Amino acid sequence: MADIIFVVEENNTTVVDRVFQMVENVIHMEHGSVALVFLIGVIFGGIIQYTRVDKFEKIAGFSMLKDTIIPKMLFLTVGLTSIGLYFMIDAGQAHYHVKPIILQGLIIGGVLFGISMAILGKCPGTGPVSIAEGRIDVLVGAIGGLLGGLVFTVYYDDIFKPLMGENLGNPILTDFFKGHEDTTALVFGIIVILIAIAIPKRELFDETELSQIADKKKI
Amino acid sequence: MTNRLPWWMGGILMSGLLLLTFSIYGADRAIGASTYVPYVASLIFDLDPEKYSYVNQIKSSGSWEGVMLLGVLFGGFITSVFITKSFRFSLIPTGWKKYKNDSILSRLLWSFFAGFIMIIGARLAGGCTSGHFMSGMSQLAISAMIFGAVVMLTLVITGKFFYNTKGKK
Repeated sequence: MADIIFVVEENNTTVVDRVFQMVENVIHMEHGSVALVFLIGVIFGGIIQYTRVDKFEKIAGFSMLKDTIIPKMLFLTVGLTSIGLYFMIDAGQAHYHVKPIILQGLIIGGVLFGISMAILGKCPGTGPVSIAEGRIDVLVGAIGGLLGGLVFTVYYDDIFKPLMGENLGNPILTDFFKGHEDTTALVFGIIVILIAIAIPKRELFDETELSQIADKKKI
Repeated sequence: MTNRLPWWMGGILMSGLLLLTFSIYGADRAIGASTYVPYVASLIFDLDPEKYSYVNQIKSSGSWEGVMLLGVLFGGFITSVFITKSFRFSLIPTGWKKYKNDSILSRLLWSFFAGFIMIIGARLAGGCTSGHFMSGMSQLAISAMIFGAVVMLTLVITGKFFYNTKGKK
């Protein structure tokens, strides 16, 4: 930690300067205008909030197998997108951005991620939405997350990179079915959509929802 | 019933957003939501890219996701205040009280701990629910399928042992 304090003293830019630098980085990238990237975020946050999948009862509820809205929505999203994206890429309207198999990293990381998702009841995409709607406990989780990000960055070369193991390349499913790529993509998409529909719908409600349901019954 | 969209509508809309983001008319990239965390940490703590190679490595993705994060906070806030009317300050979720305990301190300590290992985990794996599960699996990526299977399994095992669900609905 002594290193970090030293760096802070050495530099004289403020956090605000660095946030402007972040926006400037996006301007110089070829990945959409700042307005578009911001808008993608607004829609992303809006969908998550409007479907209420950021609630503790949804993710932690799924970990207890008492709520299945999360897997149903996730699998449907993946199924629909996989089919659309495959043909968009085929038509040159999009590109692949496939992440590599870094096996140890995926497994150790996946275990840590699964444990923390069950306990916090959020993930890095849904967490900010919960904070935006006033959940203080998630804000405390985010502070923990920022410290986790700090530790990861500081000890990346010494601890975390060696822990992740070697890069085994970035294959996709269709690589294993040469000559039948279109069918493979289509079958994958349809199966995933069917899984989304087949998962039995279960819901865990919170107090507000339970009282609303009770009111409705009285009427 | 309650003021919210059904899961299938959420899936369709999210799929539309992913395709827009992937398309060359959109951002020509995948949606991710975990690289911004170490990136924002590097902004707050002013980590020197010369000294910490990881800061350099995540500069573009981190900036992109950082701008997106501002949008997510804005979109989440507006929707919770004006559409679902679910904005309220709270320290402990209903489900936690029912299946874990009534202690605010316990919830906050566990949240802090879970947040900490969540980001270490996501960065070790190179993605999270958005980057791996949604964007990765939609590209038929094997890496995402491995991550998804490990996460789902660990999630359910943790839920079974961490919460007390016996005899409760």
